[in-house]
Amino acid sequence: MATVLYHGEPNGPSLSVLAALAETGLDIECRSIDLLAGERHSLPGLGETIARDMGIEGEGPVLVVDGEAMTESVFLAQYLDEKAGGVGLQPSDPYAHWEMMMWCRQITERLSPAAALLGNLKYSTPRLAETSDADFAVIGKNIVSDDLRGRWGLVRSGTTEEAQLADSRAKVVQSVERCENKLADGRDWLMGDFSIADLETYAWLAGMQLICPDAFGDAPKTKAWLARVKARPSVVAALARSTVADPLESWAPGPEINRWG
Amino acid sequence: MSDITLYHWEPNANSGKPMLALMEKGVVFNSHYIDMLQFDQHKPEYLAINPQGTIPAMTHGTRVLVESTAIMEYVNEEFAGPELMPANVEDRWRVRWWMKFMDQWLAPSFSMIGWSVSVGPMVRKRDLAELEAAIDRIPMPERRISWRKAIYGTFSEAEMAESQRRVALGVRLLEEELGKREWLASDEYSLADINGFNLAYALPLSQPHLSNDELTPNILRWLRAIYARPAVKKCWALGRTDMAKRVSILEKEHI
Repeated sequence: MATVLYHGEPNGPSLSVLAALAETGLDIECRSIDLLAGERHSLPGLGETIARDMGIEGEGPVLVVDGEAMTESVFLAQYLDEKAGGVGLQPSDPYAHWEMMMWCRQITERLSPAAALLGNLKYSTPRLAETSDADFAVIGKNIVSDDLRGRWGLVRSGTTEEAQLADSRAKVVQSVERCENKLADGRDWLMGDFSIADLETYAWLAGMQLICPDAFGDAPKTKAWLARVKARPSVVAALARSTVADPLESWAPGPEINRWG
Repeated sequence: MSDITLYHWEPNANSGKPMLALMEKGVVFNSHYIDMLQFDQHKPEYLAINPQGTIPAMTHGTRVLVESTAIMEYVNEEFAGPELMPANVEDRWRVRWWMKFMDQWLAPSFSMIGWSVSVGPMVRKRDLAELEAAIDRIPMPERRISWRKAIYGTFSEAEMAESQRRVALGVRLLEEELGKREWLASDEYSLADINGFNLAYALPLSQPHLSNDELTPNILRWLRAIYARPAVKKCWALGRTDMAKRVSILEKEHI
């Protein structure tokens, strides 16, 4: 079965999936692509493309299994765990499993759109602004989803409302508070045992230390937890795949902000 | 007396998902009807169960569970009965992918249109002060904004047009996907079908220009196959309004 993982720099969803892969020990070929050059939208050998084209996550990694594009970092991490026969990245107890999925939903629905907005504005807007109109049009032509293409346009123009920035910063602060509360009883990992929740949360939160340092000012347990996750061999291995000086500065258009306000 | 209680509204959208999952598993549960149009979900009795004021919620002994798709996954893992997740790992991924796509991309657009054309006008017949008091009781600030928009029908033309675009595209993508295999995400009936049926069961009635036997034969085949299941009949019988009765459109031989 031909399987390839196409990933961006180890930050955000690419980081959580690369680290999950390292946790499983599965032998899957990884190919680094430049997400901000639109390379995700011109991958070779794809038969089934709907998950690449319409994924909620935006520019996340793409796992190609027999020509089918698979996306969404949490589900890819679950897939890798299950493919390896269950290496403990998901609790086996149904209620603990529900708790982990609920936690991950909070991260992917609230933190990740906010983090993507802030990260892209700071690091992607300057790079895309340097891209010529012609080159940017080529990227846009390959993007199937109108709403994802719209988010690329917003990143390039740097257009954003102050209220949205404030809301995004508030969501980062809330996520740190949630981590701090969860870790208050002295546990090492968010769900008790190490799980996908640690990888997914770390992947979106780590870069926020550069952008919203104040959010971490009163969060010693969260800072210690971030250091623990970063030292985990799987995360070290994922970060070693970086081709840039600091992967925390690598972003690409992410999930949209909830349309219902 | 079961130690499982499901707090739900009509078998429709989010409430219908865990209702149908429980019935497919053959799990006996106490059904606690929450009248969303009376804002039961924001009253103190219910907020004591789910402080976020969202429906559905399920209690299992001392456990409280929220979020319809996550509850379905719990129901499938916790209770005996027919397996509602495929064994194949690629299929399991596909079930999850489709549920997220429907929950976060397609369903909000369906629901914006639904609120704008039917639920909103019904609710607006109420006393204004009573409505404002009901909105003030909503615990989550984001939900207050959403409910205000929904109740007063203040979605912009651009927002409505975007929802219409997404519904039309979503219907086309569902039709394509159901052309690939018998069920939505795998060769077996799964949580993705339960999720999708709750979203789309009234599609040929609410969007006849987008979905009918000529335009979307695979969607109609799929909806009728799900409607034929005994658990679905039992589930929709718990509906109390005309909304749930819309499911009978699927009895017509040609739509």
